[in-house]
Amino acid sequence: MFEFLFKYPSSVFAKGKLVLLAGWPSWLLLVLALLAAVGLAWLMWKTQPSWSKLRSGLLWALQAAVVCTLLLMLWQPALSVSALKPQQNIVAIVVDNSSSMKRTDADGTRLDAAKKILDSGLLKDLEKRFQVRLYSIDQGLHRIAKTDALTGDSTVSKIGEGLKQLTAESSGLPVGAVLLLSDGADSAGGIDRQTIVDIRSQRIPVHTIGFGKEQLTKDLEIRNVDVPLRALADARLSAVVRLRNRGYGGQKTRLEIRDGVKILAAKDITLAKDGQEQTESLLFSAGIAGARHLNVGLKLMDGEENKANNSMSRFVVVEGRKPRVLYIEGEPRWEFKFIRRAVEEDRSLQLITMLRVTQNKILRQGGANAKELEGGFPTTAEELFQYDGLIIGSVDAGYFSLTQQELIRQFADRRGGGVLFLGGRSSLGDGGYDKTGMAEMLPVSLTGNKGTFERDLAIPIVTPSGKDSLILRLLEDPDKNVERWKTMPKLADFQATGKAKPGAVVLAEMSTPKGVFPLLTVQNYGRGRVAVFATSGSWRWQMTQPKEDTTHEMFWQQLLRWVSSATQGQVVSSTPNPLLADDGKLPIRVDVREKNYLPVADADVTARILGPAGVAAQVKLTPDPVTPGVYVGLWNAPAVGDYVAEVEALRNGQKVGSDALLFRREDGVTENFYSEQNKELLEKLAEETGGKYWKPEDAKKLPTEISFSEAGITTRETYDLWNMPFFFLLLLAMRAGEWLLRRKWGAV
Amino acid sequence: MRRKLAVSALVILLLAAAALAQRRSQPVDYPFDEGAPVAMPPDANEKTEFAFARLRYPNWQSNDRMWSMRGSWSIDYPKADRQFMSGVRRLTRLHVRSVEQIVDLESDDIFNWPWIYAVESGHWDLPDKQAAKLREYLLRGGFLMTDDFHGTMEWEIMMASMSRVFPDRPVVNIPANDPIFHILYNLDDKFQVPGTVNYPFNKTYEYDGYEAEWKGIYDDKGRLMVAICHNMDLGDAWEWADSPHYPEKYAGLAYRIGINYIIYAMSH
Repeated sequence: MFEFLFKYPSSVFAKGKLVLLAGWPSWLLLVLALLAAVGLAWLMWKTQPSWSKLRSGLLWALQAAVVCTLLLMLWQPALSVSALKPQQNIVAIVVDNSSSMKRTDADGTRLDAAKKILDSGLLKDLEKRFQVRLYSIDQGLHRIAKTDALTGDSTVSKIGEGLKQLTAESSGLPVGAVLLLSDGADSAGGIDRQTIVDIRSQRIPVHTIGFGKEQLTKDLEIRNVDVPLRALADARLSAVVRLRNRGYGGQKTRLEIRDGVKILAAKDITLAKDGQEQTESLLFSAGIAGARHLNVGLKLMDGEENKANNSMSRFVVVEGRKPRVLYIEGEPRWEFKFIRRAVEEDRSLQLITMLRVTQNKILRQGGANAKELEGGFPTTAEELFQYDGLIIGSVDAGYFSLTQQELIRQFADRRGGGVLFLGGRSSLGDGGYDKTGMAEMLPVSLTGNKGTFERDLAIPIVTPSGKDSLILRLLEDPDKNVERWKTMPKLADFQATGKAKPGAVVLAEMSTPKGVFPLLTVQNYGRGRVAVFATSGSWRWQMTQPKEDTTHEMFWQQLLRWVSSATQGQVVSSTPNPLLADDGKLPIRVDVREKNYLPVADADVTARILGPAGVAAQVKLTPDPVTPGVYVGLWNAPAVGDYVAEVEALRNGQKVGSDALLFRREDGVTENFYSEQNKELLEKLAEETGGKYWKPEDAKKLPTEISFSEAGITTRETYDLWNMPFFFLLLLAMRAGEWLLRRKWGAV
Repeated sequence: MRRKLAVSALVILLLAAAALAQRRSQPVDYPFDEGAPVAMPPDANEKTEFAFARLRYPNWQSNDRMWSMRGSWSIDYPKADRQFMSGVRRLTRLHVRSVEQIVDLESDDIFNWPWIYAVESGHWDLPDKQAAKLREYLLRGGFLMTDDFHGTMEWEIMMASMSRVFPDRPVVNIPANDPIFHILYNLDDKFQVPGTVNYPFNKTYEYDGYEAEWKGIYDDKGRLMVAICHNMDLGDAWEWADSPHYPEKYAGLAYRIGINYIIYAMSH
């Protein structure tokens, strides 16, 4: 209809510029239109003085519009459009050749549909006007002769990479347009901004034809799974799973985490409304040390259109190290005994304690040998920083020298360790900590008052922030966990502190006879973490609950794992995601520090990589220009399988430290997800490059519209508008309207 | 005949008078009077980390009424408790209450006192329910110290109840190198600590309890839950440490043992 009325496709109007071909000045058109309107008004007033203003006005408007339209037609309006010169331009047809294109929709596979469109006329029509180059896109861009070469066997489709390659290759060629046939499933998760900018700089419009259902009818899909990349053995981990269903809203299914065939955790879930994304969390034990290849899966539902997107893999490295936590206690306390007992149950934590029994006797327990801490609390960074966590009990701040106080602060700030302050009669404000440099690291403010520690019962309360905390997680279900905390025995005592500092998070409060105060408050401080547990009375959770109850042990193990597990060694290697899905690129980052944890800027850092089928490589890492002590490198994992990178840092030939980086490459994974057509990506790509998104059924119009482009070798073409049927129909309608109105009013 | 009777009666009277005179002379010299009043310290209500928790238990009932009356949970109470605590307060950094806490196995309050002391446990008779509660208490992390029972018969009575508490756990001799004997004071040279009944301490044992025995019951992690001081009377030693009649060497050892047991219980 549009082309019938306006002679040309809408894209001509969208891209064209309006010009007047008569050669007369435009201002004259305006003057004449104005004079005509005034003259017609005067004539109306003279000839029909008895008519109402409404009738006179309507007739005047119709007559004036007719005259103005005629005047405009006399001035010969036209559109000036930049168009590709026939046979002098290249049109690049790029077809997605990944396995997602082999997904079957209502009438065959997506790839079949794309080939059918091309072979049933579109290719020929384009070839009549342009030089056509056919490409397939998967890991990269490949020139192909015929559509027969499209097999859909590639496990990867990197649209962005392919387009980047195309623009680079065609920088000297007259590419007039790109036509992309795809379902929008992109292994890289989208097209980066720089690629779009590169395409726009060459003014190449990318037209896209979308294949695949825009919305599946029956499907359950895991969209993402978040798990920690590293964990300690036996750590309690949380997998946050994002999922979406089509057609199963309100139904129940089962979510499982497996390690091989072993089910680590499972729970029944109720699916959210149709099409709505939901997030579920699942707790599981990291198990023994080693590389853990996890599979997070949803039970297959009846009639699912895509059965390959119900599970997702993740790779977790479970470390065999046993963090060492130093606990100094200033006086015999029941809390001390029961913390020790709770941690004894944890084979992945080591608690070394110093208990001031008398003025002259410090009881040392849990040390590696009789010499450890023989001289008392450490006085050097090298000695203190060998620990991963630090607990400070009821110890007067004055017991520590100024050097030791600064070391405690640096333990969190520079070492990156975790420090836990406990309540007590010589703790926090009552221990004079508010007057030391250590006050800065505390997550709560201290009031400066004395006598803040009281031996009265206090009721622990989990805050909304604490609801999702793994430290306080006694039961898997967050709501049931909060209910469980409501039944926990009261604490034997409490310490009233000020409020949490900005940036700190209060995970639990306590209701006391003196009011409500923070109980467990945490915050990041420098490279490390600091927490305040403002009581010494959690031992009642052990003594006043049945011996089978393990909540006391769980709480302390989880709290001390939070304190110590993220503390890193002198040499730490990392990569953003150790599961390389459909892509072998492995960015390596290594942080190298001295024994006192100052950055080492002049180290020789090497990664020796061993992989499947005898893959072996050595990567020399280079210093990061921005961050001292950080060394970076990039390596490409050539094959699917498990890899280990032994990273070693040397300085002046002496070993600073080493670390192991485990990673895994998997192919054919990402194509299974986001199985609906990613129309949003295709539309955005077209819109941002000056192209247009097409449905397959409209593709036959494409050869005409694709001509209007400013890329390649173009010519300016002019399209007359004065003879558009629209103008004639408009004039006819206006005159007929006037006649009908006059007849209705009895004037004819 | 009458003369014979009169002479006989006179002899009997003289003998009786002599015997009475000899018997009366003993209490006069006895220096340990448990009946003396004990003042309530001004800080008796202070809330502290630790209190001397004395276990109140049911007594063993016997046909021998005199023997049955002897044993009691309250022997040496309260002077021994308070005097011992004043020593603990002075010698350690433990925040200690000046007065004792009486606990029993009938209410659940006992779970608020993770260290308890049972005196004369050779006279206790724990019903099954109380034995079960004591087992639960110990397995949760509580600590029991028993003291002042002597000889074979009292041992057997103590064990009659203890075997109901732990039918499956043996009572063993605590080895000399166990941390409990070294945690604060090195107690390599231990000896029998006598009760005041042995005054003037020509002998240190009671009944057939000739040798002091340091026994205990361990948990599955090798930690002592029950420390049994058999054939000794530490309670008397604490109680009469301030008496010039009670030898210092016994009082000193009793304090060191008691403090070690408390520190052990608070650190293991």
